[in-house]
Amino acid sequence: MEEKTRNKINETKLGFWKWAIGSVIFRLILIYFPKNFNLSSRPEVSTPVTSLRRLAEGYWLKQLSMSPYAGSMYHGSPLLLSVLGPLTAIKIEGQPNHLLCSLVSVIADFICALLIRATGRILQTAHGQNLKSLGLDTMLEDIEILPSGDIAALVYLWNPFTIFTCVGYNTSPVENLFAVLSLYGASSGIVPLAAFGWVIASHLSLYPVVLVIPVILLLGYCPDMPPRKLFLQRNLQKTGDERSTKSHIQHRPLTNKPAEATFFWWRVILFFLWASIWIAYVLILSAISVKEYGGLPEMFKRTYGFILTVKDLSPNIGVLWYFFAEVFDFFRNFFLIVFHVNILFMLLPLAIRLNHRPCFLAFVYLAISSMLKSYPSVGDSALYLGLMALFVNELADMQFSFFLFCGYVGVSLLSPVMHNLWIWRGTGNANFYFATAMAYACFQVCFQFFLEITQTDIIESNHRELSERGKTVTPNASTKCTQITRSNIVGNFISS
Amino acid sequence: MDVLFKSAAVLISIFLLLFCNAIPSVAYSSSSTMHTNNWAVLVCTSRFWFNYRHMANTLSLYRTVKRLGIPDERIILMLADDMACNARNKYPAQVFNNENHRLNLYGDNVEVDYRGYEVTVENFMRVLTGRHETAVPRSKRLLSDEGSHILLYMTGHGGDEFLKFQDSEELQSHDLADAVKQMKEKRRFKELLIMVDTCQAATLFSQLQSPGVLAIGSSMKGENSYSHHLDSDVGVSVVDRFTFYTLAYFERLNMYDNASLSSLFNSYNPNLLMSTAYYRTDLYGRQLEEVPVTNFFGSVMETIHTDSPYRAFSGKYSKIEIPLDQSDEVKQRRLKSSDVPQELTGSNITDKHVTCPVTRTWNAILGRIGMMKELDSLVNYGLILMFLIATGSSWFSS
Repeated sequence: MEEKTRNKINETKLGFWKWAIGSVIFRLILIYFPKNFNLSSRPEVSTPVTSLRRLAEGYWLKQLSMSPYAGSMYHGSPLLLSVLGPLTAIKIEGQPNHLLCSLVSVIADFICALLIRATGRILQTAHGQNLKSLGLDTMLEDIEILPSGDIAALVYLWNPFTIFTCVGYNTSPVENLFAVLSLYGASSGIVPLAAFGWVIASHLSLYPVVLVIPVILLLGYCPDMPPRKLFLQRNLQKTGDERSTKSHIQHRPLTNKPAEATFFWWRVILFFLWASIWIAYVLILSAISVKEYGGLPEMFKRTYGFILTVKDLSPNIGVLWYFFAEVFDFFRNFFLIVFHVNILFMLLPLAIRLNHRPCFLAFVYLAISSMLKSYPSVGDSALYLGLMALFVNELADMQFSFFLFCGYVGVSLLSPVMHNLWIWRGTGNANFYFATAMAYACFQVCFQFFLEITQTDIIESNHRELSERGKTVTPNASTKCTQITRSNIVGNFISS
Repeated sequence: MDVLFKSAAVLISIFLLLFCNAIPSVAYSSSSTMHTNNWAVLVCTSRFWFNYRHMANTLSLYRTVKRLGIPDERIILMLADDMACNARNKYPAQVFNNENHRLNLYGDNVEVDYRGYEVTVENFMRVLTGRHETAVPRSKRLLSDEGSHILLYMTGHGGDEFLKFQDSEELQSHDLADAVKQMKEKRRFKELLIMVDTCQAATLFSQLQSPGVLAIGSSMKGENSYSHHLDSDVGVSVVDRFTFYTLAYFERLNMYDNASLSSLFNSYNPNLLMSTAYYRTDLYGRQLEEVPVTNFFGSVMETIHTDSPYRAFSGKYSKIEIPLDQSDEVKQRRLKSSDVPQELTGSNITDKHVTCPVTRTWNAILGRIGMMKELDSLVNYGLILMFLIATGSSWFSS
């Protein structure tokens, strides 16, 4: 049995590297195509907050000792300007102009995929240990467990959305990288890395701030501890075997402590400490960077203020632009609050419901924020589609998956067509394009909906398994978080 | 736990620094300004057909100044009457300053800013001092800054301490001195050259006291300035002597010549002028041999190539670095820092009365950082350090 699984793992490992290197080569080939197929001018791919052309303009303005935010072109972080700005200006003889920045995107994508793979491995190990502690390890041998980390990484690399984003000359790969970095740091228990990833991700684009909740849950609990109900049920079975009367079957407080999931408060406190260190560092660096151009308030107004107040109403694949083009000024603030609270009010119920599955919670948060953010692009959906594949084992029996897949394909094909009809030919109007944007949002909502139905199904099926087996299980000594040693991290990165 | 306490202490100190300040700007102060642009204000104050020559004077100067590089947007041309389209002009739409009619001064691109009855003492003073009503367009304003060199040329009928405007009012010498004093106070010029071609011209600038002003007049007190010759075809005198010889000097020059002002001033021959061209340099700090004529009459500036970005002139004073390896010929064209004492009123903004020591140290740090020309490299080092700390701490705590 073990040999068979090991062989399977070996096969998929070799497969992974083959496909990963293949995707990198594919991107490199695409970069050399002239003008990136004009992907950088597509509104679905590059938005006012992620476009690298705007970053180049901001860098040029800075070189002329003007504020990089002048003219409302660049709306990103000044630190990103210092890093990527010189790369946009360097031109190598005989190579396409955008080569260096596209190489940065390719490298960021690759590292992101590796991080997703490592996170998937950690999750799988944790899941296996949990099942073992629950006494369901025989399940592992019965069904074929797919290496979710590898699959998720490959899905991320070969997703057409990711390839469009990578080739499309924008900064989404870097932002996605830091979001995944924070998740990886949290799931492997490296607190400074998680804090670093979270701070930088939310500094670059505002919305990964919501990842603080799953990151805290990941650090506090272990990755993907099974719900308390399962432990309760197991204890009930144990007591139910001893006494047969139904009246005694009640939800008693857990007698054996080791079964209870411990919350490591000190790690959370350490996380907040590190996060505040990084926040202070980043703010000081930004303040130095924009000192002569109005200082930090100006930077906040132009970056986060721009994202939150939706000043630029150029069409994109989201739903806010159309609405705010027609709303009256009197109600504008009200509707801004409504749209942003739309994301915020979903955080708490989801956190309560999914607090035992923080990685899935992170995925759901990323999906919601990429649907409802002010300037979405396909890069955001690339991120959450990649993370979705981490849970591929549980999503094997998701319903309507083909319908959703066709929906995504259809929207991504129709959207440029409608854009062309509206803007270039003039035979359509904004409603054509907005219809595809709405369809895209609807498909995403349906996708989330069916995903969560599947999740509850899995919980139900787990309960059923327990009651069917009716085993008496001995609890483990203590369920501690999987101790990730240094070698293990290296092992997670490089296949051994 | 030690690490925790240390990091907490670092944190608290960082927060204190952040919250105890509003990042003030450190003002620079220095004694010299940079020459930025050249302006010309050309005023003809007399009307009526028999004062044709005053119009021709002004238009000749206009043409010269434009030819040597000053664009229309920096020339304010005030003509009190219209000679080109006068009913008595035999050559309609043409104004000549010589009987050979070689040059038509009123060509295609003449932009008159103040015409006819708009040329009044009040408007003249408003132009100089910059106190316009809000509806006055930009083309009628003297939009000079503290680095501008201004050429002010006035011609018409004048007398002892006055200049006649429109045959109905007069500009007195103390009015002019007041206006120049206001200009100096409002820092509207760096250097000013006043050139007057009237009778008893030198009296008009006798009351001036502002530094940085150079003035030349066509005649001294008690002398008249004469016209040069009569054009029998047009029927009136077409040019004044002083302006004629000035033009004779300039027609030989082009934009890149570096003839000095002293050669211009010495070129006036009292016998030919039939008056004494008097100039006053006591308020002007520089030696006339070192000042090129294009300092006022043209618009050529020496470009100094630097690699660092050009800090736009925003009210801060900065000294330009002059390369030391210049040959002697070019010495005349070298931009020198003006030795004229600038009356800086309240330009020092550094506040010495800040009590909070944290703010003071923060100001000192910021001042030192601000002195650093390479903020970008500091940010880059900060970023590299950040990544190193991230990798180091994550390696350490894994």
